[in-house]
Amino acid sequence: MRVAMAVAALALAVAVAGCASGIEGPVESNVEKVELEAKPSGELVISNWPLYIDKKTVPDFEKATGVSVAYHEDINSNEEFFNKMQPLLSSGESGGRSIMVLADYMVAKMIKLGFLMELDHSALPEVKANLAKNLRHPPFDPERKFSVPWQSGMTGLIVNKEKANNVHSICDLFNPEYKGKVDFLNEVRETVPLVMKCEGVDPEKATEADWLKAIEKIDQAANDGQISRFTGNDYAQDLTNGNAVAVMGWSGDAVQLQADNPNLEWRMPTEGCMLWSEDMIIPVGAPNPTAAEAFMNFVYKPEVQANIAAYVNYVTPVEGVQEILQKTEPEIAENHLIFPSEEFTENCSPTPTLEGQEEKNVIKAFDEVLNG
Amino acid sequence: MVDTLRKRSVAYLLLLPGAFWLIVFFVIPLYFMAKLSLDVEIPGTLHYHFTWHWDNYKEALELYKTQFFRSFIYAAIATLLCLVIAYPLAYVIAFKAGRWQNLMLFAVVAPFFTTYLVRTLAWKTILADESPVTEVAHSIGLAPSGHILYTSFAVIAGITYNFLPFMVLPLYASLERIDVRVLEASKDLYASAGSTFWKVTFPLSLPGVVAGTLLTFIPAVGDYVNAEFLGGANNRMIGNVIQSLYLSQSNYSAAAALSFVLMAVIMVVVFIYLRFAGSEALMGQEAV
Repeated sequence: MRVAMAVAALALAVAVAGCASGIEGPVESNVEKVELEAKPSGELVISNWPLYIDKKTVPDFEKATGVSVAYHEDINSNEEFFNKMQPLLSSGESGGRSIMVLADYMVAKMIKLGFLMELDHSALPEVKANLAKNLRHPPFDPERKFSVPWQSGMTGLIVNKEKANNVHSICDLFNPEYKGKVDFLNEVRETVPLVMKCEGVDPEKATEADWLKAIEKIDQAANDGQISRFTGNDYAQDLTNGNAVAVMGWSGDAVQLQADNPNLEWRMPTEGCMLWSEDMIIPVGAPNPTAAEAFMNFVYKPEVQANIAAYVNYVTPVEGVQEILQKTEPEIAENHLIFPSEEFTENCSPTPTLEGQEEKNVIKAFDEVLNG
Repeated sequence: MVDTLRKRSVAYLLLLPGAFWLIVFFVIPLYFMAKLSLDVEIPGTLHYHFTWHWDNYKEALELYKTQFFRSFIYAAIATLLCLVIAYPLAYVIAFKAGRWQNLMLFAVVAPFFTTYLVRTLAWKTILADESPVTEVAHSIGLAPSGHILYTSFAVIAGITYNFLPFMVLPLYASLERIDVRVLEASKDLYASAGSTFWKVTFPLSLPGVVAGTLLTFIPAVGDYVNAEFLGGANNRMIGNVIQSLYLSQSNYSAAAALSFVLMAVIMVVVFIYLRFAGSEALMGQEAV
């Protein structure tokens, strides 16, 4: 009996070791390319962030193509989602998903790790025609071989006008008048550059020392009790409960928050904002890339994108949408948070890329601050 | 002879499901975690290789000793608070509740019918800055800063609330087993109510006290939900650190190393506690 048990345990250990071996071993360098079928069909699994699409687009796509879509809102944080998927992706699987939506910097990292499929642009004519000019050649994917933007947005201030009307800059968040009533974002690539802008440092030219100095300033404010918390989207709750009066926040959220509480307002910091984009990607091992590309192409039709833009209130990457909305929903077409002019975003910076040891040191230092 | 052999194999068979469970879900994962805790990442690949890298432990401890220490303090205070709140409650349920006994026990267990997360999130609303609770506390001078949420008080209160039933139930079980005739005998021998309690009731309830404190303290040290939702930037516990090492820093080795240190320290603390409290107390006097 004892022997039998030992054998069983050993067999199991070997089996488990076999499964876990994806963690080790060399990285594959040959990039898989999407192979298109004649017509999209079958099932398509999409992972996206919550409240990031209107209610019409998916059913319309299903009707137009006959593809059945399983649309999951299972991404809440770039890092968390990546780290949960990472063991699967390392062994060349996508967990059934054919499209994921992740931030530029995460997409850059996944390209380097060989976790993404190369797109076949012959199935993406709408993307070719309508993708905003300024998003066509990002440094991390100059020819858009792997990624198609989903939405863009701005990170700045969200202020309760009644209680913190004098907050106009990131520096104002350090004013002791608002002690314990301020939330910062837990995103290192947005929070730290914003603080650097307050210090007069251009995030695009920042050295590691600049990053660490800004983190030091944030740490000090957290220890003094100036910053109450580091949040993701949940700053919304703090603003509506009165736990916070001024926070770092995302432009699209503010439009939705305003509907609940007219005192809340997104403000362009006097130092300028952070600009970011999130991209649709097809991970390695994705089961139905033909349908995935069909979906990417579909949401780049301006009339489809108009529905998405009107619902999510972020900055749309598709040209021709503003003209459509001018006819149907003029107040959205006029909103400078959704269609920002060049003057409005003049002082804004793109999300900086961090690499190698510098990235490690910065993230480690910031995480120490987050963990108090 | 054949008979004893059969008896023995029956015993093994009965152990099989438990042993299987323990091996698959504890021993094997523990082995991989131990290995991971001594691994080093091949830079920029997220692939690890094994090198007996004990520095993972050193670095993790140096960086996160504050949160480590904080977790034990929070858990100790919460356990003590649970004991102080739960003991009178369990005493009343066991001896004075009469026909209300079942209802009261149900009331203790009732919160389990909704999830832990939802209950903790509810506290977030209750303790918010503009909630009536905070405003009243502030006006009578109990919350001078005007905040309760996102302070260590909120985290400890959350842990105490969430783990209270784990203290009440073992206490109730051990108090309920006490033979009332022993208490009557104490009275007959002219002991006051106070000395009856300290000399008879309390010592007899010690197994419940030990079981309750362990059931509260051990999970409370590793808890991260309360600090995540009710704590602010300066109240994070070791569970939060391990979570963020794993899910935001992708530093699996440090996360594994910290988990091991946590496990080891808890084991040492529990061992000392049991030596001090006497493990026979845990087993119950009758067992000796």
